[in-house]
Amino acid sequence: MAIEAILEQCRALVEDPSSFEAVDRWKAAHPGGRAVGCFPVYSPAELVHAAGMLPVGVFGGGNEIEIAHADSRFQSFICSIIKSTLELGLTGRMKILDGMLFQNICDPARNLASIFKRNFPDMFIEYLHLPQNLGSPRGIEYLAAEYRRVLRALEGWTGQPITDAALRASIGWYNRTRALVRALYQVRAEAPQLLSTVELYTLSRAGVLVGPEAHAQLLEGALATVWDRVVKPKDRLRVVLEGSFCEQPPLGLIEGIEEAGCYILDDDFLLGWRWFSQDVEVDGDPVAALARGYADRSVYSAVKHDLREPKAKHLLDKVRTLKADAVIILAPKFCEPALFDYPLYRKALEEAGILHLFLEFEEKMWIFDRARTEVETFVESMLFD
Amino acid sequence: MPYAETNPKIYAAGVDVGSTQTKAIILDGAGQIAARSLIDTGANVSRAAERAFMEALASGGLHRDQVAYVVGTGYGRYKVTFGDAQITEISCHARGAWHLFPGTRTVIDMGGQDAKGIKVGPGGEVKDFAMNDKCAAGTGRFLANAAEALGLGLDEIGALSLKARAPVRLSTVCTVFVESDIMSYLGQGKKVEDILGGIHSAIAARTISLVRRVGIEPEITFTGGVSRNLGMVHALQEKLGVRVNVSPESHYIGAIGAALFAAERAGLIRSAA
Amino acid sequence: MEKTAYQERIHLQQKALMGRYYDELTAAAKGGEGKAVYMLISGNPIELVRAFDLLPVYPEVNALQLAAKKQSLPLIQRAEEVGYSVDNCGYVKADVGLYFSGGVTSFGTIPPPALILCNYVGCNVYLQWFEHLAEYTGAETYNLDIPFVRDPEWRILPKDVEYVVRQLEEVIEICERITGRPLDWKKLRQILARSAETEELWSAIKDLTRNVPSPFDAYFDAATMMGPLYCLRGSQECVEFFRMAHAELEAKVREGTGPLPKERFRTVIEGPPPWPYFRSFRDLFSRWGAVCVASTYSTVGGVWEFGFRHDPQRPLESIAEHMLFWNVTNRNFLQRYDQLRQYVEGWQADALVIHSIKSCRLFSAGQGDMREYFSKELGVPTLLVESDLEDPRYYSEAQMRNRVDAFFESLEHRKLTAVRQGG
Repeated sequence: MAIEAILEQCRALVEDPSSFEAVDRWKAAHPGGRAVGCFPVYSPAELVHAAGMLPVGVFGGGNEIEIAHADSRFQSFICSIIKSTLELGLTGRMKILDGMLFQNICDPARNLASIFKRNFPDMFIEYLHLPQNLGSPRGIEYLAAEYRRVLRALEGWTGQPITDAALRASIGWYNRTRALVRALYQVRAEAPQLLSTVELYTLSRAGVLVGPEAHAQLLEGALATVWDRVVKPKDRLRVVLEGSFCEQPPLGLIEGIEEAGCYILDDDFLLGWRWFSQDVEVDGDPVAALARGYADRSVYSAVKHDLREPKAKHLLDKVRTLKADAVIILAPKFCEPALFDYPLYRKALEEAGILHLFLEFEEKMWIFDRARTEVETFVESMLFD
Repeated sequence: MPYAETNPKIYAAGVDVGSTQTKAIILDGAGQIAARSLIDTGANVSRAAERAFMEALASGGLHRDQVAYVVGTGYGRYKVTFGDAQITEISCHARGAWHLFPGTRTVIDMGGQDAKGIKVGPGGEVKDFAMNDKCAAGTGRFLANAAEALGLGLDEIGALSLKARAPVRLSTVCTVFVESDIMSYLGQGKKVEDILGGIHSAIAARTISLVRRVGIEPEITFTGGVSRNLGMVHALQEKLGVRVNVSPESHYIGAIGAALFAAERAGLIRSAA
Repeated sequence: MEKTAYQERIHLQQKALMGRYYDELTAAAKGGEGKAVYMLISGNPIELVRAFDLLPVYPEVNALQLAAKKQSLPLIQRAEEVGYSVDNCGYVKADVGLYFSGGVTSFGTIPPPALILCNYVGCNVYLQWFEHLAEYTGAETYNLDIPFVRDPEWRILPKDVEYVVRQLEEVIEICERITGRPLDWKKLRQILARSAETEELWSAIKDLTRNVPSPFDAYFDAATMMGPLYCLRGSQECVEFFRMAHAELEAKVREGTGPLPKERFRTVIEGPPPWPYFRSFRDLFSRWGAVCVASTYSTVGGVWEFGFRHDPQRPLESIAEHMLFWNVTNRNFLQRYDQLRQYVEGWQADALVIHSIKSCRLFSAGQGDMREYFSKELGVPTLLVESDLEDPRYYSEAQMRNRVDAFFESLEHRKLTAVRQGG
């Protein structure tokens, strides 16, 4: 399949996040199979997959649904993804999911897990504690124990044991799709005209719905033909985009930002699904390998607090490695972790002499003119300086 | 209705001091409206309350001494210094709406500054209520900003919105950002009525979600200044799937409720519950 | 119209104790003693810090003092100037603003940290707050990672206790390095014994509000007692303070008096108070004769009324259990519903008041669901009002009063109807 056809297929899959049609199809093909929703950010899909289930990325309701019920549960100062995820549940759109997996990423997500438990008593709800003491070996040991606790809970639910071999195979699958996604990001960094960010994003996001086996096929197809595309590079600002690690910007906003005159060389969309910068080891104890992977080779974000290195250093390194001209911080409205990172990023960027633009977005945005104008102005100020 | 006529020479009054307008209602001993007034509140709230009351008296040819009891309500209720008691407009709206439509179990109130949902008991008492959050709009002010951005009068937009064939979707119900959204849509060549249709639908959805906090039970009575907007009545009915009561007296409803409480406390009429 | 002017020995003594605590901070700042340990209130391990003669500093307490003294806004704005969002927690912004202003306040000078000990007990903002302070001050920082209560049966998991104890041992090593001397275990046990005694008295005090009338307000007056409980727990003067407080309040029970001339309504309050408007917020309830008989806010540092005590025989284990389980912030949201339900039932409350604050999403996120549970499933009259604990810009006096008045009007109506129907 040529990349155009693959992209069309992916776009159709991800355009409306409030529909889980891909999950319906997976279930039709796997009678009796269960699907578990994974709330961002660092959700261990490998564990769910090893249990023979389909891990499904749940990133809110996008901009296609109207919030009619969740507003009465969560206040107006709570970010959109929390409310739209609950809305998906309260309106029955999530019935296809048998369970949900949450982690300690922020305070609203924490309370959301409880509210899911109360409102959807038939769902399997698990809450994973990701250690925030990564400077101590205790943290890594603890994470392995915590993964084992979740594995036991999954086993208790299905009545089926999860073997090390199955977990190794799952790690292998996700290693494979992540390596392919990394390769596509590499294309992006080298020849951004060949693959727009929104195309890369849809390719990447389709994977959270179809499972790693089908995803690997799509990605391999795209990677095989992307270099065949003939596109002239444009004179655009080369930027790194930061801040959208949990709530996802609408496709139209991602398109709008690029069309306003930049190439986004790297971003932090869908972070948890591409959270390892290198493969996780597949020999030895697979649970310990996953835990070590989180501690030592997972990408940074506003919800992972690793005191071994200042967070801003990661951002500066990224900008320098990619030889980007500037940074766009695209933070979700009311997202406390993303907004808290900004003052530290701003200080570091200013000290390093790297220009940046700060924008806020909401997943439910429907028109993007304002954001686009801001980006255009920013690009103009830099290109025609 | 459980009114017991005692002394027809005795009257009771309610004064509703809102942020933009002040309304006064005087009831006779039979609980019927004997006189009313409506004035702009202006900067001096105490004086507005006093003036509204005096104007109502004058319009009914009544004397101050004939009024046995005065209840102040609305944001400026504590400025009704000549009043005998103060009661919030939430209680008064419930009471007033129940008086006009005795089957009322839910009141949706949309005023200039805030929106509220009130759950009403069988005797017109407040069972529960919810009001809009700080950062949320869904009020008359939002509609006024939208009308202004479109260069229309506030009284025109409701009827126009009914002509919408393909209502637009609104990204925000934030009063500050609605103007730029409207400008973007105008730039895209969208029709004014479709933009208005989208605006009314978004506000209706927002308000219903607020009222869900107390639970929505029929009959539903829609009150407050925005209830005069036909487009909003239509949008609410469409989303709720039931008819809502709207009274031509709806902007007096707080004052009517206050006057009813006053009449009760003066012993002119029996207590509702 | 009823104003609240309830000031007795408890309040006066509290002022004196907290004044002395801030004098100690100021002396440490001036002397450059390098013994300040920054910590957070939720499930704080003050006993360990005191055992090293280190000085606990709570940025939250500093921030709330600033707010209560109406000094928070310029500091918040100072933080916003360097990029902090209007939607970020006001405590953090006031504290960062204070740091940029040299740490000098009208009530004391805050010494720079020798150690930033981030006891991550429930609140994720804590992590970022202390991450920022670490970056600004360059001080040594340790994230004491406390797993959240997530067991379906709400049990304490042995592996969690083990994990926390192992981390506490690492904290001890750091403190030994900073102070240059080993931990005095005997001293730690003595401190824990005094904490246990304080906790016993505090629990007894909280139990007194089951009386009708309640001898004190379990929200507004309890907040007064929380200063000594968190800043001075483990000291003899803290034990003495709570002994005095218990005696004073027991006497009130015997006399049948309370904070108001007449108790007409009994409430349970959920959520932190609006510190910049503490007094006027209290007056809104006093006007209606409403007294709070139990609150969740008074359990942020520790839930003691259901029996937990620090244990000198199990020093690190009991500190770990306190941090993991015996405080409201590390418990899940449904456990909080349960705690509130116990309060409403066991303390004979008429209503639940939820004060939803923007700054603290740990407390507030999803309180609409909590409201739904109490008002619709349990039939408890529930009021939800919104403001903030630090930022005066989020408090609207007129709106607040409107909602509180309307709520009590309807409660009063219910009472009247109940009386009329002989109920």
